[in-house]
Order: sequence, then C-alpha cells, then structure tokens
Amino acid sequence: MAKFTLPKGSKVKKGKRVDATHKDSTNTKSFKVYRWDPEDETNPRLDEYVLDLDDCGPMVLDALIHIKDNVDSSLTFRRSCREGICGSCAMNIDGRNTLACLKPINEVKSDVKITPLPHMPVVKDLVPDLSHAYAQYESIEPWMKTDSPAPTRERLQSQTDAQMLNGNDGKGPAACILCFCCTTSCPSYWWNPEKFMGPAVLLNAWRWITDTRDEATDERLDQLEDPFKLYRCHTIMNCTNSCPKDLNPAQSISEIKKLMAERHS
Amino acid sequence: MADDQDFRSPLKKAKGLGAAHAGVHHWMAQRITALALIPLVVWLVYSIVDLKGASYAEFMAWTASPINAVLMIFFVIASFYHGVLGAQVVVEDYIKCKCLKMTKLIAHKLFFTALAIATIFSILKIAFTAG
Ligand code: SF4
Ligand code: SF4
Ligand code: FES
Repeated sequence: MAKFTLPKGSKVKKGKRVDATHKDSTNTKSFKVYRWDPEDETNPRLDEYVLDLDDCGPMVLDALIHIKDNVDSSLTFRRSCREGICGSCAMNIDGRNTLACLKPINEVKSDVKITPLPHMPVVKDLVPDLSHAYAQYESIEPWMKTDSPAPTRERLQSQTDAQMLNGNDGKGPAACILCFCCTTSCPSYWWNPEKFMGPAVLLNAWRWITDTRDEATDERLDQLEDPFKLYRCHTIMNCTNSCPKDLNPAQSISEIKKLMAERHS
Repeated sequence: MADDQDFRSPLKKAKGLGAAHAGVHHWMAQRITALALIPLVVWLVYSIVDLKGASYAEFMAWTASPINAVLMIFFVIASFYHGVLGAQVVVEDYIKCKCLKMTKLIAHKLFFTALAIATIFSILKIAFTAG
C-alpha cells in the first residue's frame, strides 16, 4: 500500500534556536528551517532563527542568505539568479511550494516554516535530489526534432503559432523554468513518481508537441500514451496552484489528453 | 562495493519499460459513462421518489415496463463500468506490490462483472415474468 507516514529516520525533530536580533530590534521574525546532514546519522530537525527583518532584504531568500552569511554558515540551499528565472531556489515555504526569491517575507503571517520540496530525496538541508525528475525531462527529448532538411535561415513561425508557446500573456509553456514546484506538489506524483511524468515534464512535453516547427508530434504522443506516464494525472490542479510563474501545467496536460483522444477518433 | 548498489542511470530508470500505448480508451470510457450517468441518475432518482409508498406489485410493474427495464439495464451497465474504471485507478494509484496489484485488478473486474450480470438477470427476470 501507499505509505502515508514518514519512516522513523525521517521524522523531523525540534532543533536549536538561534536569536540573531539586537537589543533594540522591533521588526523581528522567526524562521523555522529544515536541517538534515547525511553525514551525521540523526533525524532531520527544524532549527529556529530569529532575525531582525531590518537586517535583511524583503524576500525569504534574503533571509536565508542573511542566515548563511551572518548566523549559521552551515545552512545549505540552492540559489542563483535571485529573480525567479533560474528555478534553483524552489522550496516549501509556509506550506506551499514556491521560489524563495519571489516570496515576500511579509506574506507569511506567522513564523516562516521552510522545508525542501516535498517528496524528493534530500541531499542536504533545503537541497532536494532532482536527478529522477531531470531524467524524466530528458526522456521526453526536449529539443526540436525534424526530418525535413534544415532551412538555410531560421525556421519560421506565424505569430499565432508562437503564441501557443509563449501565451498571450507570456505565461505559455515555454516560460517554464523547471523549478519542479508543480511536480512535487502533485499527489499523483507522490504515489507514482517512478512512472508518472509529473506536471513539469508533461507541460514541457506539450511545449514541444504544440511547437509548429517540430516534426515529431507522432513520436512524442506515442511515448506518452501510457496509463502511468500521462494518465496518472487526475486533474487535481495542485500543479497550477503552486506554479510560482503562474503557468498552467494542468491545462497543458489536458491538451495532451485531448490530442490523444483526437487521434483515436 | 556493495552488491546491491544501483548502477542504473537515472535516464534508464526514468524510461523504465516505455509507454504501454494504452490508456486513451480507459480515459474516454470513463468520460462517456459519466456522461451517460448524468441523465440516468436524474431519471432513477426521480422515479424512486415518484414510487415512494408504492406496493411490491406496483414496484414490480414499474420495473417490468419496457422503457424502465431498458433504462435500468443501461444504468447498471454504465454505473458498473464506470465503477470498475474508477476502482482500477484507485488500485493503480495506491498499491505498490506488483502481484497484489494484478490480483486486485483481476479480482475486482470479475467481481463487478458478475454483480452486473446478476443485476441485469434480475431485471430481465422481472421484466419477462411480472406484470
Ligand atoms: S492536475 Fe494532474 S499533474 Fe497537476 S497536480 Fe493534479 S494530478 Fe498532478
Ligand atoms: S510549470 Fe511552473 S512550477 Fe512547474 S516547473 Fe515550470 S515554472 Fe516550475
Ligand atoms: S534564485 Fe533563481 S529562481 Fe530563485
């Protein structure tokens, strides 16, 4: 049966509390951060850092950077662009998967609880192991495939065709930054990660299926026509709810399902 | 190095056994039966409410009328089919053990089929003998 509880070694214990505020701090906030180090054989724990918000920038990522630079250098997390474009800083903040660099601290009313993306194995602290999700992405061959001889200039697309990728509002499937917030929020993915592709990968599969320049639509649909790879999606919509870029993976998935039905009728 | 170390690449695992090239039929059947069930459920609920307080004989006569018997059989087929498809999804979602999964899938299909046949048989029996 599916497991609904954490194994013993994964139960999160209470950790240390570090007060990094000053005597005259007025603007304070508590951050409860998931910590786990593969090298010490103990359970994960939630460490609490109390910060003076006047010491750091407005986003949750700023708080994490402040902790790492000034309070506890052992804290481990990924980040790169700090402007919502690289997808590295995806984590669960206040119960929702999102990008730490785009999440304003003041949007969280109580203490800020920060844990890694759910369901993925943890490398250390807030760093999840995404190898499997990346491999699933690789398996859909996310690049342009054509049989016609390559043109001497760029491959042309009409504006309407390009809109299929970019959306009218820039929120089409081509805007995905592969942060995997959606995939790791999907209950279907939690239960069947080995076989279900998950929303992020399916949205990207759709990005290539709907690309008018790509000539491998048939092959791409063939590879997805499977009770698990595609049809494990039960339209629960968590994915669309969690996407920090406001994309709509659930819709991309239903577009793929529509095409599947179309080629059978 | 430990014998049980996993040397398969992530890509090998992600590709797994490949696509089954199936699933569309299940998906469409689930939607078509759902569609059929909307008017059928309305009809059934309406009829049952209408039959409130009816005697045994009146109930039998109602079931024996050709329209009611046909709609009833339609309802049984659509709902059982829809039920089997739904139960299959639940089993596939939550049961990890391969042999348990197979057993459950086969068992519940046989069970639902038998139940549907029995129900249809009863309706026909009433239709052909009562009234
Ligand atoms: S819509 Fe599909 S992919 Fe998205 S969360 Fe739901 S089941 Fe998962
Ligand atoms: S669809 Fe959104 S949440 Fe999912 S990987 Fe892409 S950007 Fe991230
Ligand atoms: S640091 Fe790049 S998305 Fe947050």
